[in-house]
Amino acid sequence: MRVEIEEKVLSENDRLAQQLRERFCAHKVFCVNLISSPGSGKTALLERTLEALPRTARVAVLTGDIQTENDARRLARAGFPVKQITTGGTCHLDASMIIKALADWDLDAIDILFVENVGNLVCPTSYDLGEHAKIVLLSVTEGEDKPLKYPSIFAAAELCIISKVDLLPYVPFNLPQAIANARQVHPGMGIVETSCTKLQGLTEWLAWLERRKTCAIEERANQM
Amino acid sequence: MHELSIASAILDRVTAAAEQNAGARVTKVGLRVGELASVDPDALAFGFEALAKGTALADAVLEIEYRKRKQRCTACNLEFEPGEISSNCPACNHADTVCIAGKELDISFIEVEGPPCA
Repeated sequence: MRVEIEEKVLSENDRLAQQLRERFCAHKVFCVNLISSPGSGKTALLERTLEALPRTARVAVLTGDIQTENDARRLARAGFPVKQITTGGTCHLDASMIIKALADWDLDAIDILFVENVGNLVCPTSYDLGEHAKIVLLSVTEGEDKPLKYPSIFAAAELCIISKVDLLPYVPFNLPQAIANARQVHPGMGIVETSCTKLQGLTEWLAWLERRKTCAIEERANQM
Repeated sequence: MHELSIASAILDRVTAAAEQNAGARVTKVGLRVGELASVDPDALAFGFEALAKGTALADAVLEIEYRKRKQRCTACNLEFEPGEISSNCPACNHADTVCIAGKELDISFIEVEGPPCA
């Protein structure tokens, strides 16, 4: 006998992500989910971001890794609330991990929540965390064909940060081709070029955050 | 690499569905997996088999319907399967196209044998 189910496999995660979305909306928290390969510079970007923000900024970071508290220690130096999520082997963050990590944080005290996903271009794409925007990082020490090889994340991300651009003179990375590849997969995607060692592109990145935060809060308030 | 977590979510959902048909044995689980779902069907079947061992779903086989990615052109409304390099519309070369299929990761049905539900 055939029994119809017709449900998304990750419907439980989607349900929890929806709860998070509603909480973020109610508390006016703007949440971004940073995704990239290991070593593309998610933590470095967040370090420079936190350092650039005024001490009074109401921001917080959840950072995911399979093991170690290293990233949380690095990020905590800036003085903002940081919590490490160690997944113990799981290659992505899911909505239940975010809910658990936020349990003892006062969301009314947070304007921007940065979620640094586990370094992986594949699996984190499938798990909705209730975030407003996914951001993908692509460093110039990788191949410019990454958007074509991993189209799911580039199709889902609103912004692509091309990181480590100070290394461009030393690596065979074809920047215009990388941008063309990213736009091929996702025509409307924003692109920002950064260097965390030479402090390039950070103003543009911070401006994107501020602009996107303002319209996200408005959009969501209208939806609910 | 996350096929095991996906398999575990499928197992939970199907176990719950089977419990509603008490005494029935699940023989097949029908899934729909899109090209953009980032799930390898073989790894998923392997994970499912490993997790199902020793449970009520030990004999269930996975039937996976693989869906190709499809885009729709926002200019001329053509629906097409994009090539590897370009997702531009093959008819009018418009670059703004939206994904309408290929992201699926669904449980579509189960097949059960045994005591019919009363």
